[in-house]
Amino acid sequence: MSADRYSRQSFLGADAEERIARCTVAVPGLGGGGSHIVQQLAHIGVQNYIIYDGDHVEESNLNRLVGAKAVDALAETPKLHLAKMMIYGLQPRARVQAFACKWQENPEPLRESQIVIGCVDTYKGREELEIECRRYLMHYIDIGMDVHGKEPPVIGGQVILSSPGGLCMRCMGFLTDEKLAQEASRYGDAGGRPQVVWPNGVLASTAVGLAVDMVTNWTKKYRSHAYLVYDGNEGTLRDSHTLRNLKCGCDHYSRVEVGDPALIEL
Amino acid sequence: MIKIKLTGALHAEILQDLRRPHPFAAERVGFVTGRIGTLAGGRLILLTGYRTIPDHEYLKDHKVGARIGSEAITWAMQAAYHGRGKREGVFHIHLHGHRGQTGMSGTDSREIPPMISGFRSVGREAAHGIIILSLDHGSAWVWLPNNKEPVQAASLAVIGAPIGVFESGVSNER
Repeated sequence: MSADRYSRQSFLGADAEERIARCTVAVPGLGGGGSHIVQQLAHIGVQNYIIYDGDHVEESNLNRLVGAKAVDALAETPKLHLAKMMIYGLQPRARVQAFACKWQENPEPLRESQIVIGCVDTYKGREELEIECRRYLMHYIDIGMDVHGKEPPVIGGQVILSSPGGLCMRCMGFLTDEKLAQEASRYGDAGGRPQVVWPNGVLASTAVGLAVDMVTNWTKKYRSHAYLVYDGNEGTLRDSHTLRNLKCGCDHYSRVEVGDPALIEL
Repeated sequence: MIKIKLTGALHAEILQDLRRPHPFAAERVGFVTGRIGTLAGGRLILLTGYRTIPDHEYLKDHKVGARIGSEAITWAMQAAYHGRGKREGVFHIHLHGHRGQTGMSGTDSREIPPMISGFRSVGREAAHGIIILSLDHGSAWVWLPNNKEPVQAASLAVIGAPIGVFESGVSNER
């Protein structure tokens, strides 16, 4: 590899290239958000990937699925294949563990990662990923976008970092029982949600930026959590107001409840 | 394949404690507890806590860097015993005060494994072992349940900010 390859990102630190290369990042979900993320991870030099997606490209994906071409919809190309092509095109020596299923159907490989960037559609899916990340000690970065209302439509979204020992998505006010219950009551009635390419790009780029900071600590912020709220109409990304006056510790996840569940003798 | 993970906060707590000078011992040692997770084709050891060894539980022995007494060993044996239900094992941990990869010294390989046999005898369902940290790396040897011989962990990952991934056989030195 040429010494010039990463010369423009040398400000990340003298050992950033090695740190990034040693890290393992998991991306469950390779749609509008995940396709941006694997592309950027490959550009910055990530060598170890664990990716999940059981879907294939459809025509309705072509408005936002990075790397997909019209022929992929016709050919019903697996999204997993597109992601692997993207990664290997930039990092021919990358180690990619790719699974054509939901991560819940094969969770063991996910646990090898140090960072999980979740690009899932539901609150329930986010909660399940965060639980897995706490149980097996992984940083969890969540991204999501949605469009609400009609006059005019409002694009909203979030990027959240939830780290073992730090504040969780419930502490930060993003996940609530009410949201989970409302979502459960709409089960089967959700339909196709509005999705466009540029908010996914903003959110995915922000998530990759957080991931790079967790690996290299180039900002010296020593983050343990983050909750950034995206306003797509204004084009802004700000700290959530729910982070104000938060206490330090997380009451939802125990520091010692990690690893495989064990039967307790009573 | 065995991999080990711990949080950045726990790693910092361990390093801070082990770097403190002792009134007479040349180095400090400690114990960490860890639970087992299943990986694809391997096991993950997830470290849960650290127990510092108080100054008075060290014995004077100038032949070794640190020798701990029966109180410290008793604590570790009890931790291994009480960890049975949770499959939580005990790991002997100490620091080699240099940068780069670490390995077991002759004294380490002679003195520590018999202690691990004791942990295994009371906590058979858990993984126990030895962890040796350096200032920017770390190595571990793990006795899995039913394995008489230790296996060197492929990596030890610190899940903090920044993330540290210390791979066996790969130096992080520049």
